[in-house]
Amino acid sequence: MFVARSIAADHRDLIHDVSYDFHGRRMATCSSDQSVKVWDKSDDGEWHCTASWKTHSGSVWRVTWAHPEFGQVLASCSFDRTAAVWEEIVGESNDKQRGLSHWIKRTTLVDSRTSVTDVKFAPKHMGLMLTTCSADGVVRIYEAPDVMNLSQWSLQHEISCKLSCSCISWNPSSSRAHPPMFAVGSDDNVTYTGKVQIFEYNENTRKYAKAETLMTVTDPVHDVSFAPNLGRSFHVLAIATKDVRIFKLVPLRRETTTTSGPTKFEVQVMAQFDNHNSQVWRVSWNITSTLLASSGDDGCVRLWKANYMDNWKCTGILRGDGTPVNGTSGQAGAANTTGPSGTLASQAAAGGAVSAGRPKAQLMPG
Amino acid sequence: MSGSKPDILWSPHHVDRYVICDSELSLYRIGSIGSAERKAGTLPLSEETAATLLAINSDTPYMKCVAWYPKHEPECLLAVGQANGRVVLTSLGQSPNSKCKELMGKEFVPKHARQCNTLAWNPWDSNWLAAGLDKHRADFSVLIWDISSKYAPDVSVPMEKIRLSSGDTDSGLVVTKPLYELGQNDACLSLCWLPRDQKLLLAGMHRNLAIFDLRNTSQKTFVNTKAIQGVTVDPHFHERVASFFEGQVAIWDLRKFEKPVLTLTEQPKPLTKVAWCPTRTGLLATLTRDSNVIRLYDMQHAPTPIGDETEPTIIERSVQPCSDNSVISSFAWHPSAQNRMVVVSPNRAMTDFTVFERISLAWGSTTSLMWACGRHLYECTEGAAERDRDIATKMRQRAQNGYGHDTVQVWRNHLLAGGDDPQLKSLWYTLYFMKQYTEDLAQKQQGSKQSLIYSGIKNIVKSSSGTTENRRCWRGSDRQTDVARYNSEERSLALQLCGWIGRGPEVDVEPFLKSLEQEGEWERAAAVALFNLDIRRAIQILNRGASSEKGDLNLNVVAMALSGYTDEKNSLWREMCSSLRLQLKKPYLCVMFAFLTSEPGAYDGVLYESSVAVRDRVAFACMFLNDTQLPRYIDKLTNEMKEAGNLEGILLTGLTKDGVDLMESYVDHTGDVQTASFCLLMGSPGEVVKDTRVQCWIENYRNLLDAWRFWHKRAEFDIHRSKLDPSSKPLAQVFVSCNFCGKSISYSCSAIPHQGRGFSQYGVSGSPTKSKVTSCPGCRKPLPRCALCLMNMGTPVSSCPGSGKMDEKVDLTRDKKLAQFHNWFTWCHNCRHGGHAGHMLSWFRDHSECPVSACTCKCMQLDTTGNLVPSDSS
Repeated sequence: MFVARSIAADHRDLIHDVSYDFHGRRMATCSSDQSVKVWDKSDDGEWHCTASWKTHSGSVWRVTWAHPEFGQVLASCSFDRTAAVWEEIVGESNDKQRGLSHWIKRTTLVDSRTSVTDVKFAPKHMGLMLTTCSADGVVRIYEAPDVMNLSQWSLQHEISCKLSCSCISWNPSSSRAHPPMFAVGSDDNVTYTGKVQIFEYNENTRKYAKAETLMTVTDPVHDVSFAPNLGRSFHVLAIATKDVRIFKLVPLRRETTTTSGPTKFEVQVMAQFDNHNSQVWRVSWNITSTLLASSGDDGCVRLWKANYMDNWKCTGILRGDGTPVNGTSGQAGAANTTGPSGTLASQAAAGGAVSAGRPKAQLMPG
Repeated sequence: MSGSKPDILWSPHHVDRYVICDSELSLYRIGSIGSAERKAGTLPLSEETAATLLAINSDTPYMKCVAWYPKHEPECLLAVGQANGRVVLTSLGQSPNSKCKELMGKEFVPKHARQCNTLAWNPWDSNWLAAGLDKHRADFSVLIWDISSKYAPDVSVPMEKIRLSSGDTDSGLVVTKPLYELGQNDACLSLCWLPRDQKLLLAGMHRNLAIFDLRNTSQKTFVNTKAIQGVTVDPHFHERVASFFEGQVAIWDLRKFEKPVLTLTEQPKPLTKVAWCPTRTGLLATLTRDSNVIRLYDMQHAPTPIGDETEPTIIERSVQPCSDNSVISSFAWHPSAQNRMVVVSPNRAMTDFTVFERISLAWGSTTSLMWACGRHLYECTEGAAERDRDIATKMRQRAQNGYGHDTVQVWRNHLLAGGDDPQLKSLWYTLYFMKQYTEDLAQKQQGSKQSLIYSGIKNIVKSSSGTTENRRCWRGSDRQTDVARYNSEERSLALQLCGWIGRGPEVDVEPFLKSLEQEGEWERAAAVALFNLDIRRAIQILNRGASSEKGDLNLNVVAMALSGYTDEKNSLWREMCSSLRLQLKKPYLCVMFAFLTSEPGAYDGVLYESSVAVRDRVAFACMFLNDTQLPRYIDKLTNEMKEAGNLEGILLTGLTKDGVDLMESYVDHTGDVQTASFCLLMGSPGEVVKDTRVQCWIENYRNLLDAWRFWHKRAEFDIHRSKLDPSSKPLAQVFVSCNFCGKSISYSCSAIPHQGRGFSQYGVSGSPTKSKVTSCPGCRKPLPRCALCLMNMGTPVSSCPGSGKMDEKVDLTRDKKLAQFHNWFTWCHNCRHGGHAGHMLSWFRDHSECPVSACTCKCMQLDTTGNLVPSDSS
């Protein structure tokens, strides 16, 4: 059962991204109002905005936290063609008492000639590395060689994806058996081709090479997200396109120990849901990658969970404004769905059927 | 607005009123469904809202267009443009003596009758009403009327026209002289006033868009284009205008009026309405004919550096407001409620609808989901206790309960895990038995077998030798059974691991049966008794089960059936039991009859009944399968368990590579790295722990604990781990060297060559030599002074100002005092000033800057993570 509550965000325009830090005690939001806000959770569980500042001269698309071992560091990317790295510094003496913190810009990454659509830090075992992708189809990987000096970033890799990029996700696995790997999604709606590409680092060439293109995903992709690996023997990738899709990438054992080519994967579709009945915008995994949340143009947030037999089903629906989904609209959405997930849709509708009288939105598992 | 197709208009000032106009005008009030429920005649618009019809006005026939008076007073004043070009002021639901009485019914008549296409009130000077008309020879097509003007006969208007128009209305209410006449020899299809100036009017003319400046009517700016319909100004960006033609929308920037800055993708059907969202920047809604979707264009505009041609990015969306896929005739944005609109279908069915923004979302580390919808944030957390909670929540709960840390009564760990997971129960009992018998064998100095136990039954039965076969009698009867039972040392060890028999040499299942009876597992107990060839005991157990609380009386029936057992091959009993047993719902009852009715040596009905616990099936196999059948069965079962990632299979695989394979499958399915880590740390410190997969699970589990701020639990886990895997012990993290001689000042470290753990002890620990602790053990030079008490470090803290009594109590014992944290060396890594930990802590309770004079370092605030409190501090 999930309970939703509203938080006064006080952004002057659309919020484009929300991001938690490693411990889940801090949160950053970014908006079309060109600002980023940092929120801290107090001991009573309330969120307080402790910093809000103008970061870019355009809509800020995404904001993301570095691992806390690198300090309190944020990265943001914007329509103004830049990405920026921010660090919290200990401010004036009474800032802490007033519950405010001070963030300063450490660097602006200006290599892109178009809107920077996503920014992500690489997993921490790779060091302090930052990846951006932009609408001109280039993925850039920067590294801060000196973690004490965040104003120095060197562009290590520039990878052309040939398609306008919308989102990027690192494989978080820290296992030495898995070379660094990331997935890029494209929202290009002109060409008919695979819209999710997976790149892998090659130790020998010291370059990233394409390991896989998910040819079955041909519609514009709005978000990709690798699941926390948690020591599993395979990787799971969730994709937000015209539906929610979950792919399983099983690395095939290499025949010889010193192959130079990228890892081959056995790609399986674990689940595909069109319950949103419209474009899906975002997908996000929980820490154990056992719950997936997705949001769609139907204004709903849906939660997905796999049972022991790897059958994924909807365990909850919440409307974007936190109100419960009940009555006709939920069922109508379900009735429109077709194909293999028809049964799941009906479960979803049942899951959403909650009495309207409750003050808070409550979700029963479907 | 062709008669049949209804259009919709929101009141500019009443957020709950709107007008539907087709052949007549109907005023509706929108309200929550709760308040309107009882009243008759309300129309539900959505799950929460309903509309009430307030008034109908059918005074004005041949309506072509309607515009709502923009000012607050008089309310509900509407201008209606008619097919003959007349503009009539009318009202809805007004009390007769209201302010606008004199305006009501007022008519504005053009010189030549032709269709009135569009109306627009001037938002500043609300007396001005612009009307756009069809072409009539060389006449003007844009007329601006002043609604306050009185009727004045105009010489330029032919008399018969006046007579004609005044024939059907009261005299004095007809106005024929417009304030301005524009657009000669042209047609006007759409109009809107520009917010830039009250005297600027944008008109969609026959083949161009024209801006008329009323300050100088001879001048007009125009651009030739086909997109002349539905001109509308972006309320948030006053230079931006949208217009359309057929299926194409053009976006104009009035500062660069030469060509559209943007044209949106063409729709196959002609557009009927285009409207900017009044509550959100850059959102344009469009509707095409006979469509059931509203297409939205979200324009994110770039900063426009001078001379730089940046094309805005457009995100296209389509929404389907009506759940029944019905066609939309028209729509209207709510003037103030965010992204809300009401749509109306050709048959006047209305739907209240909110366009949701793209929702972005993120999971926190503690199963809380945050999402942003529009300008608002919502947090969602997993609710109260439930059986099928997510594994992340379960692991958190288990970590808090100390799951995995009970290394003596190992089986208790399944209770710490919640006690409701049969697999975990089986796993921890298996590990408990393994530990127990390893210790037993260790006492008996049987080192060779010791390692065998943790390698699982699969390896134990493989090493089996000297199996004896005997045929025993049914207990309490003399008759010889034809059931062969096999015995060997390894087989009884396997039985012990299965938990059927206890420690010691005698093979007695009675204690096991007793414990099963206590737990109310009657069927299982009966089956175990039966497998030990004791029908009488089995019947007794079933009877007891039937008479127990919540007992199942059917057990008596089963007992009856059981008592009729006969080993005759062709008896009716055997025939019926083998067919009817499949209808038994309880697996243990089913396998009892399977055993009794099967041929000796062919026990598939028992061995492959998957609802029976693995340990019982294995124990059964160890008793009744011969040396060739048994390993084959065990191998098969092991592979099945490995495939499924079933933890019960650890009994078979033990903590071997096979066990790691099985655990890998379990982790793949569940993500439960916690159980995997603890389980594989249980065994003997073998190669298993060094497996990269195991190391990976352990690292992932530690990372989870860190993310949850369960730092104490992580530290406890590390201690637990280092007991079994000494190689995991971290090296000393910090060394402190003397300023003078450069040697380590740690007494203990100098005594024991660098083995870690040193840093808790430097300077303060009671070293064996008990020399002066305030000086360097190498060169006898004094240690630095505490910045607060100005004593050399190593001097015990006498009292901490600000943290009074607590310390004095502890001060009683000198030894304790020496080990106290308050005496520790601390220093700021930034400014390198420091002192006794206790002094420093109490200083920073009231200060933010370093205690050393002229040092402005904010030592305590430098580390944000350091200011986080662990969430598991107990």
